[in-house]
Amino acid sequence: MKPKFVGERVPRVNDERLLRGRGRYVDDIELPGMLHAAIVRSPVAHGLLRGIDAPELPPGALFLGPDDLRRLAPGELPVLWWLGDQRQKHTPLVDDHLRYVGQPIGVVVASSRYEAEDLAQQVDLDIEELPPVVTVEAALAPDAPALYPDLGSNLLCTFEAGDSAEHTDAVFAAAQRTLRTEVRIGRIHGLPMETRGLAAVPDPYGKLTVHTSTQAVHAVRDVLCEVTGIPQHQVRILAPDVGGGFGLKDHVYEDEIMVVLAAVELGRPVKWIEDRNESLLTTTHARDEVHDIEVAFDDDGTLRGLRVHAVRNAGGRFSVFGSGPLFTALGLSPGPYRWEAVRCVGRAVATTTMSTGAYRGFGQTQAAMIRERAVDLVARALDRDPVELREQNMIRSDELPYQIRTHIVFDNGDYVRALRRAQELIESGPPAPDDGRRRGIGYCSYVQLAGIGPSFMNEIIGVRIGGFETADIRMEPDGTVVVATGVSPHGQGHETTFAQLVADELGVDIASVHLRWGDTDSTPYSAYGTAASRSIAVGGGAAVSASRKIAAKLRNIAAEMLEANPDDIELGAGRATVAGTQVSVSLAEVAHKAWQGFGLPEGETPGLAASSLYDPLSPTFSYATHACRVAVDPDTGLVEVEDYVVVNDCGTMVNPTIVEGQIHGGIAQGLGAALLEEVVYNDDGQPLSSTLLDYHATVSATMPDIRIEHLEIPSPYTPGGMKGMGEGGTNGSYACVANAVFDAVPELGTERLVTPLTPARIWESLHPTAVL
Amino acid sequence: MNPATRTVALTVNGRPYEATVEARTLLSDLLRHELGLTGTHVGCEQGACGACTVIVDGRAVRSCLMLAPQADGAVVETVEGVASPEALHPVQAALHAEHGMQCGFCTAGIVMSLVASHRAGVPVEEATEEVLGGHICRCTGYVNIRAAVDAAWAVAEEASS
Repeated sequence: MKPKFVGERVPRVNDERLLRGRGRYVDDIELPGMLHAAIVRSPVAHGLLRGIDAPELPPGALFLGPDDLRRLAPGELPVLWWLGDQRQKHTPLVDDHLRYVGQPIGVVVASSRYEAEDLAQQVDLDIEELPPVVTVEAALAPDAPALYPDLGSNLLCTFEAGDSAEHTDAVFAAAQRTLRTEVRIGRIHGLPMETRGLAAVPDPYGKLTVHTSTQAVHAVRDVLCEVTGIPQHQVRILAPDVGGGFGLKDHVYEDEIMVVLAAVELGRPVKWIEDRNESLLTTTHARDEVHDIEVAFDDDGTLRGLRVHAVRNAGGRFSVFGSGPLFTALGLSPGPYRWEAVRCVGRAVATTTMSTGAYRGFGQTQAAMIRERAVDLVARALDRDPVELREQNMIRSDELPYQIRTHIVFDNGDYVRALRRAQELIESGPPAPDDGRRRGIGYCSYVQLAGIGPSFMNEIIGVRIGGFETADIRMEPDGTVVVATGVSPHGQGHETTFAQLVADELGVDIASVHLRWGDTDSTPYSAYGTAASRSIAVGGGAAVSASRKIAAKLRNIAAEMLEANPDDIELGAGRATVAGTQVSVSLAEVAHKAWQGFGLPEGETPGLAASSLYDPLSPTFSYATHACRVAVDPDTGLVEVEDYVVVNDCGTMVNPTIVEGQIHGGIAQGLGAALLEEVVYNDDGQPLSSTLLDYHATVSATMPDIRIEHLEIPSPYTPGGMKGMGEGGTNGSYACVANAVFDAVPELGTERLVTPLTPARIWESLHPTAVL
Repeated sequence: MNPATRTVALTVNGRPYEATVEARTLLSDLLRHELGLTGTHVGCEQGACGACTVIVDGRAVRSCLMLAPQADGAVVETVEGVASPEALHPVQAALHAEHGMQCGFCTAGIVMSLVASHRAGVPVEEATEEVLGGHICRCTGYVNIRAAVDAAWAVAEEASS
């Protein structure tokens, strides 16, 4: 039967509640007797905490310092990605060795947030300052101050991806030409508009409930219980409405656990809401990588070898994802092109800066930059059209499935068609006015690894969590449906898209389907929550599978009621109908019968609930080509992105409007990282981008309208055909915009690319002899 | 509590309220935590993001940059008061229809800024460039918010013609 809801631009079902101000975010939670927390943080980039003095506390207030916290929490935070020779696999909750500005040292609880912040400011810290280590170069210097003296150096991990050195060297030796370039990927902040925060609520029955602004409630419970030693069945984690995450809320942070410990110690509800300054300092940063890139190619434009040596600034400690984003950047660096050899070596180093962790794209944005920059440089070296050169080397649809040099197998698609159509669209855009500005066009073609697991792949890589999702679905006795999922939306619209998927499978209206998420007590376990472009591909796949079990049971029971064959029963419009007849029964009646438990077909069990655990056979691979045109003002260096097109394939689109919204938002973030967004530390390791006036997120004026076209080639794996796509916009836009700027301003050179491409950096390249 | 307290009397969404708060209390905190009107969201407490925007005496104001005692005697509107029970305001309806919102956190402030300028007859170009320019949204990329501004202003033109 033709789907009624899947593929339609169904308006989101939860908008009206949010528009009327009836959202319930974590800071909206007020409970009787609730106290408020503030965090005591390191004011220095590097030092040793020698002593700590709390002020006199008013009645009812509490201070927990490092010794208290160590006593209350025996465990450490896990690093879940283990790669290469990784030497940091756990990080402490609290440490007297201070390694970044903002490192949490203790927590103060008082009757109001104002009072708690006053008291936190009065905590006296005795710190022996040590020299800061801000950059990867400084961290790797022979005489660098050691952040972890036990490890012997600041190098936390070295790993390899792709081909052997011998094979790669042979390919390079056989190629007619080579080139070398450097890409410096700036440090950025994911910047969800709602900062982190939580409300921890111990109850008299011994259960601890934590409302927290997270992407992954089950992962929060895993880490919280590992650190505190509280058994998991005594902890319930709830995500209320969450105001954006972008990967940053897929982590569990030390300060959050400190607040929970304070609530447990007091036996009272305690709330903590991070302020924006804290957020910019201590909610994970992203990227901060240097890539040394070599390409081997022939005079006819054939790409042959890619060699990348990369260093990532991991910050003062590994995040839970360790070197994961760098691994993904290198693993996806081959992209949609045929190579004979790809060899990558990645290193992660500790510095006295905030930890860098997961952020939308999880390295795949950098993968696109490494490769698409390199491909553009090859085209330039050979004086070739960059689109032609891409097409010449691109994996054709009849070559798929195709194993790239880093062992990943791309599934299906038509990469060339996306590239060519994007070119047609950008070249047929509005003519550029003659206004004295320079124009440039940039392209980025990428294949995105989405829909992670399968679990066995995580095991092979060294990711110590499962890649499956589960859906628990129940049709209630009145025919309405509750779907419980382990994925956890925070703007992506799962309430709508999951309802679309399930409604079509069961033949009910989307208004009859309610999605339950964000509750460890009543949703199935998920190690990821909503992250990695996998909710609709893996979580949605599970929901489709579970729905099909219920649909089969509905047909079976309805067939008995209608004296027909189950194979002849069609589900639709809330009814079970004998195909080709007017004979039907409402699904509410069938559901009532199922839950009544008698008068069922022989062998059929009562009830109408099903669970499906979906551990995919393979990740899914959405892809796109982005193209844009920029105008660069040579007098100021200011870049305007004037026109932007995307040709995208994410398999079956459940809701094209939501897909396009994800692409828009992703582009805004990638464009921001290419042009203006940068987390900056000074030489002392003090953060300079500590307000939203200093950190330049994309605003409406810097964001163009976007023209999007879709290819829609269903995934061969996912039940329902979805491929996942939430990060694609970010992955494509970063390199696309940078390539366009380099097209407009060749003076930027071929040796090095530094993002963000700020007006100052561009102006300096245009005025190399100017003295500022 | 800090002894420097003030009693603030104000009208919010047509209802009179009175609260005694520390003098340093922000209007955003008064609305959210004293009056329980949590539809107003606080994104930065620095006046940069616009999420906390409310309407004070007819003008859009960042409630994180205003002290509660400064609102004594004022008529305040928050996102909870914009729609009727039956229907959304055209600005809200357009944000829904055009998918001009995702996580919903910044949305309240954008609604309030746009409602104030919609009422004031601000031209659509100014609403798009200047008014929306004062807000940060991290989810939507603004494309669909601009489409919603166009749609809401088109409704207003139809209504007035």
